[in-house]
Amino acid sequence: MRRVYLFCNAGMSTSLLASKMQKVAEEHNLPIEVKAFPDSKMDNIIAEFNPDCILLGPQVKYLYEKVVERYGHLGHPIFVIDSTDYGSMNGERVLKAAIKKMKESEAK
Amino acid sequence: MFDKLEKYLSPVADALSKNKILSAIRDGFLITVPIVIVGSIFLLISNFPITGWSEMVASVFGEGWETYLDAVTSSTFDVVALTGVLSIGYCYAREKGVDKIAGGVVALTCFLIITPKTHIAYVNEAGKAFSGFSFGNLGTSGMFLSMITAILSVSIFAWAMRKKLVIKLPDGVPPAVMDSFAALIPAAFAMVTFFLVNIIFTNTAYGSAHAFIYEVLQAPLVGLGRSNLFEVIYQFLSTLFWFFGINGPAVTNTIFSPIHKVLTQENYEAAKAGIAMTNVFTSAFSDFFCNYGGGGSTLGLVILMAFTGKSNRIKTLGRLSLPAAIFGINEPIIFGLPIVLNPLMAVPFIFVPVLNTITATIATSIGILPITAGVQLPWTTPILFSGWLVTGSFVASLFQLAQLAMDMAIYFPFLKMLDRKYLEEEAITANESDELDDLSFDDLVLE
Repeated sequence: MRRVYLFCNAGMSTSLLASKMQKVAEEHNLPIEVKAFPDSKMDNIIAEFNPDCILLGPQVKYLYEKVVERYGHLGHPIFVIDSTDYGSMNGERVLKAAIKKMKESEAK
Repeated sequence: MFDKLEKYLSPVADALSKNKILSAIRDGFLITVPIVIVGSIFLLISNFPITGWSEMVASVFGEGWETYLDAVTSSTFDVVALTGVLSIGYCYAREKGVDKIAGGVVALTCFLIITPKTHIAYVNEAGKAFSGFSFGNLGTSGMFLSMITAILSVSIFAWAMRKKLVIKLPDGVPPAVMDSFAALIPAAFAMVTFFLVNIIFTNTAYGSAHAFIYEVLQAPLVGLGRSNLFEVIYQFLSTLFWFFGINGPAVTNTIFSPIHKVLTQENYEAAKAGIAMTNVFTSAFSDFFCNYGGGGSTLGLVILMAFTGKSNRIKTLGRLSLPAAIFGINEPIIFGLPIVLNPLMAVPFIFVPVLNTITATIATSIGILPITAGVQLPWTTPILFSGWLVTGSFVASLFQLAQLAMDMAIYFPFLKMLDRKYLEEEAITANESDELDDLSFDDLVLE
């Protein structure tokens, strides 16, 4: 089971996207868990679950450097969701992007 | 022009979000929000906005039924400085990378050290003065002191931790025992500092750190919050950040939210004391009369998109985002329409909230819109309900409807232009796809 966790300010709009991604994952029988959280909980969540992929909503892209600085050493991909995909709440494309990044980082 | 502005705004957002002190204060107050909202529900029940409510309930449960509810309200509203200092201390310890709950408790203790414990105004028959903490110091008027105390005490605590000023026990002592002593010296450093701070302030003309911070810092800052421009500036800046795709309130609240909080609490205290509430710019005013449907007050825009949009892109996006918009969430249209860096939408997006703020401020000052009663609701509370609950009057709901209509009127011409542009584009372009669309999940099997 891979964990793909999304973070934004209150974890609200990302939770909408997360539920769409989860649905796509289930339709394709992918062993992936997608969840969304507010950025203020990031520390606890990452310490507890060590997600395999960390995604940031485009509205908190300014957190990117801080997140990489703090959790980059864990070796899991961290990236900001494409804003067009975010706007259209395209779960499939974001999920593909996440899997692609995980594959790339695991191949290393 | 946008590029230039973004060049200035992005580093501001970056600096504010990276600043450990400001993040700790913002996140710390966020921890107390659910508590205050639950307290607000109790406050609402005891002052339900229906005439004759109190007598009606009294006829069932007997006189004085409010006392039981007030026990809950009071334990949330009247001790905000106390819950604040604990949670800000906790968050700052997290930012500093030291034991979080230990940091929170040290902050709480330090705050209590400098809080006056006697009230000479209350003396019993035996001539003994009241001893204990008074709500007056633990509530609104102590809020700024609670922030300062939390940051200062945890800084000292973290500094001592980092300097390894801990008790070293001989080998053979179990590590768990060692850990239990790890916080001892750092906590002592923080507490001794505040022991001295208390001595100093008690011997000044102010009499306590509370009185000093209140008069020197809190009163002037909150005074700014009472000026007419305060809310307009807040709304303008928040929306401006959103226009660049940055979560606006997340940035601006680091500075504005403590002031909003104090203004809200002061109304609650005024109502409790039976005097007129005077603060217009409370959190509820900001959440429920300046912005509908998220940053840029886009609820009206989303309704127009869903029901008047001709292009597929706008119609579909409008219908997709309507349910979320009712609860104040609008990222789908901010990034999907898009509003971000879209010169066509810049004018209505940035000025609609400002116009809402100005009209609501005027309506409050001439007495059409009732002042908000210190009640705090989740910012996701839908329009109409929110207006009624925070003022206790249906007039407020009607006012919200009028503002929504105004917002729609302003957005309409701009949306039409965008709609026409998208229609033309849809007529020309066939489906484009990129690498991600070509990938199938079969290519993406994870071992």
